[in-house]
Formats: sequence, C-alpha cells, structure tokens
Amino acid sequence: MERKYNLKSPAVKRLMKEAAELRESTEHYHAQPLEDNLFEWHFSVRGPPDSDFDGGVYHGRIVLPPEYPMKPPSIILLTPNGRFEVGKKICLSISGHHPETWQPSWSIRTALLAIIGFMPTKGEGAIGSLDYTPEERRALAKKSQDFCCEACGCSMRSVLLTVSPNSSRSPEVQKAQELAQQISFKAEANVSRQASEDNPPALAVMDLPEPVAVLPESAAPESEPVTLPPESEPSAAPLGRPLSPRQRRQQQHSRQAQREPSRAAFTGPRQAPDSHTGSAVLIVLLTLALATLIFRRIYLAQDYRLDLDL
Amino acid sequence: LAGVNCLAYDEAIIAQQDRITNSNPLVSERQELSVLMREYSEDKVYQLKIKDLYKKYMHIRKTRPDGNCFYRAFGFAHLESLLEDSKELQKFKAVAAKSKQDLVDGGFTEFTIEDFHNTFMDLIEVCEKQQSLQDLWNSFNDQNVSDYVVVYLRLLTSGYLQRKHGFFQHFIEGVRSVKEFCQQEVEPMSRESDHIHIIALAEALDVAILVEYMDRGEGGTVNHHIFPEGGDPRIFLLYRPGHYDILYK
Repeated sequence: MERKYNLKSPAVKRLMKEAAELRESTEHYHAQPLEDNLFEWHFSVRGPPDSDFDGGVYHGRIVLPPEYPMKPPSIILLTPNGRFEVGKKICLSISGHHPETWQPSWSIRTALLAIIGFMPTKGEGAIGSLDYTPEERRALAKKSQDFCCEACGCSMRSVLLTVSPNSSRSPEVQKAQELAQQISFKAEANVSRQASEDNPPALAVMDLPEPVAVLPESAAPESEPVTLPPESEPSAAPLGRPLSPRQRRQQQHSRQAQREPSRAAFTGPRQAPDSHTGSAVLIVLLTLALATLIFRRIYLAQDYRLDLDL
Repeated sequence: LAGVNCLAYDEAIIAQQDRITNSNPLVSERQELSVLMREYSEDKVYQLKIKDLYKKYMHIRKTRPDGNCFYRAFGFAHLESLLEDSKELQKFKAVAAKSKQDLVDGGFTEFTIEDFHNTFMDLIEVCEKQQSLQDLWNSFNDQNVSDYVVVYLRLLTSGYLQRKHGFFQHFIEGVRSVKEFCQQEVEPMSRESDHIHIIALAEALDVAILVEYMDRGEGGTVNHHIFPEGGDPRIFLLYRPGHYDILYK
C-alpha cells in the first residue's frame, strides 16, 4: 500500500495512522481499509448493550473523501439492522440546529462510536433511517451474526473480541452515547450535491470506491450509481499517468452515466463541462433546424396567400 | 428549452465560484490602504472611517471570506511579524511546541491532532530557517497547509476555552456547556469567530491582538479593542461585519 499512495497527501498520512491505531479488534468495533483501497474501509460494530441491538454485530463500508479529515466520511451499512437502511450512504455531519459539526480532529473511531451510539435513537422518518419494531430488530440482531463479508473476509461471529461482563459501563459505550447526542446522521442525497458544488478535489491519490456485492440481499443496486462520487473523472484525468484497469473501468462507468440522461449526470454542475458543451451545441442545432422548418412553413403559407391575392 | 436554461444556470454558478476563489486568494499580497477607499467609493459612512484608519495604518492584506478568516489572518500576521524578531520567534516556538501536550492532557486524541500540530511546527521552522516572507505566503496559500494551520488554531482556541470553562461559561449564549460550544462553534471549519474566540486564542498563545472595528455605526471613527485587555499588540486586524483582514502601520 505504501508504494501506491502519495505519502505527502494529508489524507493518506492520516489514514495510514488510523489503520495502525485500529489494527486490533476491540469488544465493540473493528475497522480496516480494503487491501487495494485506503479510501474504503470495512467495519463491524457491536449493537449497544441494553438495547434491541444487543447481541448483534453489524457490518458496513466507510468511504473517505479525498479531503479527509477536512470532510467527513460516509457510512454504508451492509447488514440489515432495522435502524439504518442497508446500502444507503449516511453521512455524520449535520445535527438538527447546528450544521456542519464534523471536526477534523475526529477519526474513523469517532464515526464507529457514533454509529453505535446512534443505533438506539429514534429514526423519526429521516431519509436512510428505519423504525422497525423491537421484535424485528432483535430478530435481525440474532441473524446478523451469520453474516460473512466476501470483500474483506470478516465473519461477524469472530471479528470482535468477546464481551466482558460489564461492557455496558465501559468508557467506550459511554463515549458512544455522548456522541450520539451531539451529532446526527444525514442521508446522502443533499450531501452529494453539496460535495459536487465544491471545487474538484486537489488530491488525486484516490482509487474510487466501487460497489461491493456482499450478499445478494444486502446490496442496494439503485442507490449505488449515485454514491459514486461524480468528481471521479476530473481527479483522475489530469494525472497523466497510466490508469489501472480499475480506474479505467471507473471512467467508463462515469462516461456511461454522463451519456444517459440519468439523475447521476445532473447531480453536479462540475462534473462534465465537455458533455455540457456538446449537448448545448446539439440543442442549438436542433433549435435552428426547427426554426428553419417553421420559417419555411410560414413562407409557404404566405406564398399561398399571395397567390390568392393575385 | 429548459435544458438550455439549466446549462446556463450551472455555468453561471461555476463562474461565480471561480470568481470568488480566483479573486480572493487565501491570503492576499500587501496592498495600499487606498484599495478600501475604492471599494467604498459610494459610501459616505465608510469613507469617513477609512480616513480615520489612514491616521494609523498604511497597508492591508486581505483574507478569503470563508469563515476561517480570523484564524488565517491571525496565523499569517503573527508568523510574519516573527520573521524579523528571532527572540520572539524562539519564545513562540516553545509555546507552540508545548501546546500539543496541553491538548492531549485536555482529552484530545493524540494521533488525530498531531498532523495539524506538525504542520504548524513545520511552518514555524520555515520562518526560523528561511526567514522568507514569500515561503510563508506560499504556505498560507496552499489550501492543505493553510487549512491544517486553521484547524490547529481552532484546536488551541477550543482547548483553552475548555481549560478555563469556569470563566468562559458566563459568556456563552444559550443553554450549552463550554464543551458543546467548542464542538459547535470553534472546532468545525468555517464557523466564524467572535470576541470569545479571539480572547481565548490570544491568551492561549500569549500574543496580544488589536482589532479595529469598522461598521456603519455613527461617529465617523473606527473603534479598537485589544485582546487581552492591556496587552501590547503585535498584530493588527481590521474587522468589518463578518470578516477579518490584516492591517499594517
């Protein structure tokens, strides 16, 4: 991994450090980057004790923006849990009355604790939130232990350390509760728009996260195209170095997305100036053609009237 | 034709963002104070006040209005003033070096703050070794470096407020603890600064700051305030509602 990334990039430097800090599993959480992508991590968290999630271990992805830690990570749960929608990008940044509470001194560990602390809170109909009944949540908690992630090879039964008798009083659980009062999760819809309105990322080290098919039931095909950051192309293109097969595939992806008039192509003004000019020219040409036809029609009509006058 | 309108709108937004970014470097070159006069050529109230500023100041250096302007203005102005004062620079370096441990003792996680601290120390070292204003200016206009310095100054402000929470609690509006205030108004980027932030940072780093307040109030003169009170200010900032720039005598 060291050879692949620019160690001068602040995000890379920081993520390397965090990977080392989080190498060992704890009772409550575990997270590590994927082998081939420092900007995508997989995590497992234990459902908080004294809640409907007790006994559950939940798995998910964390996607880091190239500006990390100046911009917050996004979190996508892969295990059905009854609190967060599976496969939907949630972003821990906005709290009800105080926007932009993400702090650069927070870390992936903070994000994990926030998820744990946030599980027992009410979803209240927010996008990406679910309000399943306690019974359903408890059933899902039990079932969650059977999950094995093909992408990172983690099995929920063995990924975390076993719980000690008084884990509900551990400082980590308390910290999680504290964090949950302070921040809230936001579904990705508005966030991705915000991100695309910003300047294209200055760092070009990232290899973009790809949708990872884990279990057929847990993948979320519709939401994935939107979660691909639209800035991918501007950041990859000016590098002037050979693209990896993965990056090439990524580019093809985003070109396809631009060709189709899908919502992905219109999420941000920044992403495709070329295709915008292209379609502008096309529209102008079509308008001119239409105008010509209309004028011809009028001309013909007038001609006809003139004929009559004569 | 909705498509055409939409395209035009997008392009207008992009152009507008580019204009803000291009016309406002993070920290500008040093300019004659007369640039302010031109900015307010139609405004009688401000013209009087700018004339008052002329009595004390010659130059101005502008910062980008992105919500971080106080920290950037402070950071740049202070390090710039240390370029020509190696004794003060050594003193400041010692304060800055010790500051990380104070934060860790106050409950901040070491590995998450050390990159910010290191960037800050590197910059002080650049001032010490190269003594080059150009290098300092370049660093402050490199978004990565500049933002990391801003983060560290925000952390120092937050750390100091929390250390002295008994005192600062009385100055916080609304029902929130000093810690909550710091997490909402100090540590996140782009949150603007008020008196309380300035006092905290000035005291945390033991640097006196003079702020000239220029607004539409009556009187035709600018008012200044020194943080902390009674200090001997080394750096001078100009405040217009919502924004800080650097002033030079």
